[in-house]
Amino acid sequence: MSVGAHPSQPAGTEEYQPVFTEQMLEQLNEILARYPTRQAALLPALWLVQRARGWISDRNMAEVAEVLGLTPAYVKGVVTFYTMYHQHPVGRHFVQVCTTSPCNICGAEAVVQALLEATGAKELGATSPDGKWTVIEVECLGACGFATPVLVDDDFIESVTPDRVPELVRKYK
Amino acid sequence: MVTLTVNGRRVTADAEQTILDAARAAGIADIPTLCWYPKLPIVGNCRICLVSVEGQAKLVPACATKVADGMVVQTESHAAVENRKGVLRLLLERYPGDHLRNGGRAAPRNEFERYVVRYGVAPTPLGARDLALRHGDERPGDPMIRHDMSTCILCTRCVRACEDIQVVGVLDVAQRGEHAEIIVGADGDPDKAGCTWCGECVRVCPTGAIFEVMPQERFAPEQIRQPQRTVRSVCPYCGVGCQVDLHVADDRIMRVTSPDIELDTPNQGSTCVKGRFGYDFPQHHDRLTKPLIRRGWLKQGGHWVWRGPTGAERRGGPWQSIEAEGQTVKPAGPPRAVGKAVRDLPLLERLDMDIRDRVATPAAWYEPFREASWDEAMELTAQELLRIKRERGGDALACFSSAKCTNEENYVMMRMFRGALGTNNIDHCTRLCHSTSVAAMQRALNTSAASGSMREVEHAADVIFIAGANTTESHPVFGAAIKRAHERGATLIVADPRKTELAARADVHLQMQPGTDVALFNAMLNHVITSGLEAKDFVARRTHAFDKLRESVRAMTPEVAAKITGVPAERIREAAEIYARGPNTSTLWAMGLTQHANGTDLVTSLLNLMLACGMIGRWGAAMMPVRGQNNVQGASDVGAIPFVYTDYRSVKDPKVRAEYAKAWDVPAESLSLKEGLMVTEIVKEESGVRGMYIMGENPIISDPDIAHAEHWFRELEFLVVHDLFLTETARYADVVLPGSSFAEKSGTFVNTERRIQLAQRAVDPPGDARRDLDILIDLSNRLGLRTHFATAEAVMGEIVTVTPSWRGVTYPRLEGAGLQYPVPTPGHAGTAFLFDERFPTADGKGTFVPVEYAPPVELPDDQYPFVMNTGRQLYHWHTGTMTRRASGLDQREPTPVVEIHPDDAAQLGLEDGDLVRLTSRRNAMVSSCRISERVARGQVFVPFHFREAAANLLTNPVLDPYAKMAELKCCAVRLEPAHVAVAD
Ligand code: SF4
Ligand code: SF4
Ligand code: FES
Ligand code: FES
Repeated sequence: MSVGAHPSQPAGTEEYQPVFTEQMLEQLNEILARYPTRQAALLPALWLVQRARGWISDRNMAEVAEVLGLTPAYVKGVVTFYTMYHQHPVGRHFVQVCTTSPCNICGAEAVVQALLEATGAKELGATSPDGKWTVIEVECLGACGFATPVLVDDDFIESVTPDRVPELVRKYK
Repeated sequence: MVTLTVNGRRVTADAEQTILDAARAAGIADIPTLCWYPKLPIVGNCRICLVSVEGQAKLVPACATKVADGMVVQTESHAAVENRKGVLRLLLERYPGDHLRNGGRAAPRNEFERYVVRYGVAPTPLGARDLALRHGDERPGDPMIRHDMSTCILCTRCVRACEDIQVVGVLDVAQRGEHAEIIVGADGDPDKAGCTWCGECVRVCPTGAIFEVMPQERFAPEQIRQPQRTVRSVCPYCGVGCQVDLHVADDRIMRVTSPDIELDTPNQGSTCVKGRFGYDFPQHHDRLTKPLIRRGWLKQGGHWVWRGPTGAERRGGPWQSIEAEGQTVKPAGPPRAVGKAVRDLPLLERLDMDIRDRVATPAAWYEPFREASWDEAMELTAQELLRIKRERGGDALACFSSAKCTNEENYVMMRMFRGALGTNNIDHCTRLCHSTSVAAMQRALNTSAASGSMREVEHAADVIFIAGANTTESHPVFGAAIKRAHERGATLIVADPRKTELAARADVHLQMQPGTDVALFNAMLNHVITSGLEAKDFVARRTHAFDKLRESVRAMTPEVAAKITGVPAERIREAAEIYARGPNTSTLWAMGLTQHANGTDLVTSLLNLMLACGMIGRWGAAMMPVRGQNNVQGASDVGAIPFVYTDYRSVKDPKVRAEYAKAWDVPAESLSLKEGLMVTEIVKEESGVRGMYIMGENPIISDPDIAHAEHWFRELEFLVVHDLFLTETARYADVVLPGSSFAEKSGTFVNTERRIQLAQRAVDPPGDARRDLDILIDLSNRLGLRTHFATAEAVMGEIVTVTPSWRGVTYPRLEGAGLQYPVPTPGHAGTAFLFDERFPTADGKGTFVPVEYAPPVELPDDQYPFVMNTGRQLYHWHTGTMTRRASGLDQREPTPVVEIHPDDAAQLGLEDGDLVRLTSRRNAMVSSCRISERVARGQVFVPFHFREAAANLLTNPVLDPYAKMAELKCCAVRLEPAHVAVAD
């Protein structure tokens, strides 16, 4: 995976800006109120970070660990267990295409190719030069009857074919 | 109890036991295990322990299945064995095991490989595998711990050891499926993840994927696997008294491991970083291997005479005094070599950069000396000690014995000074340690040691109250036990001016101004009494003078105390209630209370609180002064203190004297009835002491106001220093005797819970260095005291005859976990906790001694606005003589640092690592600084391990009136950015 710069996440040694200040802290506290323990709120807390920063850096994980009273290694274990958390910068729009067998038979590969073309990302997992797009393959999205399903950020789009792709890409600025 | 059958044999077991426990306890079946490990939470994930149980379709994990009545178990059934082979084959797919395909099978290298061989499986050749090996070193550049993850089998023992035994949590499993791997923190830096280098992960790893760097650098793999011998000893550092196994190769200590889970050893298998990695100082090239005599001593006509310079030059040399070192050039530290940043640093270079040539003894220090034979050195020593005794009386001589030496050595030392030289001027570093605790405990309860055990604090205390003890750094293994207790639900209250690790995790942190503890404890008492929470029955039955106490604390309400201590009144109340409600509260304290000029009062007020709440004499309600040195308890027990013989029997009592005179075969009149001088009194012009014998102590770094002490030592007529290295103190000696390290002798040590433990000799002293006991026996005889002990065991034979509470102690009985004294009779099992019925006072009752709050002697003012606090670091030990010569430890903390609060640092314009000058009313020194929120604003923390930035240049030598402890913990200083040269 190529590691590009993400606007909100300095990669170098600049001073670290904590995620959980004021407003974010409030959001976190709302979440915490719904869970029996702080540990239980780990997944939503990580979502908060990912939404705010685009991806989750090692330093972010350490911060989450501190805020929730966990160890950094434990948080990293969780982050790396799931595919939904990004450990590297990704484009502003994150596209997930199902390429599991049923969709594959129905032409998912071609959809992937078209997406890589149209977005300019060129390679799976890479970010397009304008910083807008990252495309990855995922396993079954549970819409096998509507091949090929594509997730753009949180939007679920069914029955995508290569010729629908350019229009789809235009819709997202 | 249930009865089951294992491999055809009937076994009875507790219903709570697992099949594995029951089988192992009965000694029948050797069920293999990988993920299971003693004391770790059971996860049951490796599946190698599966066994057949009659009537169950599937195999069950022996490590995670409880026994049941009538159960019939086959541990090596066909199905079980086939399963094990499968498990091993799968693990071998990722294991670099080509050597297991051929001759290597005869010599399996670790626990895992032994199973591979036992079950007859073989790995696929490396080239023919689908999966690549895991990658290698996850801790590049680490001075002590190496990860070679290619041999990891993901049993997760290391993860749980770190998380559940040490309660740190540096490691975890990341990724999943075939990508799963053990990771270090979030970014690979153990430092940031809170690693303390305890090595617990090394201990539990079944494949050696996590291993020690130093043995691998210095010895061949075969040597590591097959040590020449392995010898049980006791860690030479703190008072926890961890038992360790010393592995020997090439007649050097190769590595240190901890005896596996004998539940009664104080450490239960753990050690801290010092115990496991701080063992290479005895092999340091600075070791003294020949006696040294100061040039100027000549033998003429069968007699030694001084022909050297007199006056100020007499003890001079081409080196700087500590005072000058404190203010001029600072050595630059080697890079703190951990974490990913130094990935490229080649290992060899790193090891060469260790302290060996950095803070090692400077060559110039040797110049005033010449090497001598033992005969010359001993003859001169005996001649001069006897001359001073003859000319000025025995009381012109004094001795610092050593809390680093064994009971036997301390006993022979005090026997020599009392029996041959007729003086009670014998003391050791307890004076600067728990002497005030002893004074306070004597006053209140007539006792001198902890009432309980570390185990009871871990397992039975409901509330743990810690005052002035940074346990996780100073007594790390006990600190981990306290953290485990906290995890199991005990409430933790910490009274400490610093936000130490335990303070940060405490349920209540009482962060008071240094030295205001009496106000704090009295206010807690005030609240306990006004809310009627005192233990009325206990107070009535077992104590005196409660009314006086009640009177004395009446005015110290939490509100008043809040003003003095800076702790909010509410928090004081909360702490008081938790403490008093218990039901079982253990009370721990250490140097934060004792090292004050009113230390005795500080401890007394804590004892008052403890007695008023009845928190002593039950399992779980322990009184624990946490002892500093590994044998500070023992050295005191065997009489290396000025007022008492062994067992705290007074030197003033003629009856006691007669007993010792008989045992030592000397006329009673030759033993002095006058109490001797204490460490802090000896080092004063008015003491009249003109000749000294110092064994294993380094007062020029450890005494308060050392510029003054240094001057005093230079004025002595005769000084013998008996040590491993040419220490800062030894520079001024007339004779330096090369002694032996802990690994080079046998003997016994007493830990903080009164446990007498046996340490065995592992290697010989280097060169002409001699065993300490032999040196003392030789000198005793030369001084005219008949002393014939062939072994340390023989010395113990004499000790027990004059020490009633040790009467049942013999070396064979000490093997294993040792014995907690009192052991009054031959068969006695030892005493885990004391005072369930009575205190050792005349009427069996304890006494409240009311004490009033008095402010610390030196308060900050405009000129000296900061309060300076001193203490220990995790990686160093006292005057640094040992740890600064232990390569791994010194790499972790190579240069002196003082801790400063970020706001203060910002105000002073200091950045992390900058040099800062500290000035007190007595002296000044320069150190670099570490910016840390562990210290409160207006305070500065100064570790006392560094000669080039010696904390004790600054400390205040005012003394506690009872115990003659100095005000080491609290003085006023000024800080300013400094500029001095930094040398490589
Ligand atoms: S490093 Fe060792 S202890 Fe840790 S999981 Fe791997 S094999 Fe087990
Ligand atoms: S806790 Fe103390 S006795 Fe145990 S290994 Fe560490 S320094 Fe040694
Ligand atoms: S296989 Fe594509 S959604 Fe199920
Ligand atoms: S030892 Fe029982 S499952 Fe691992």
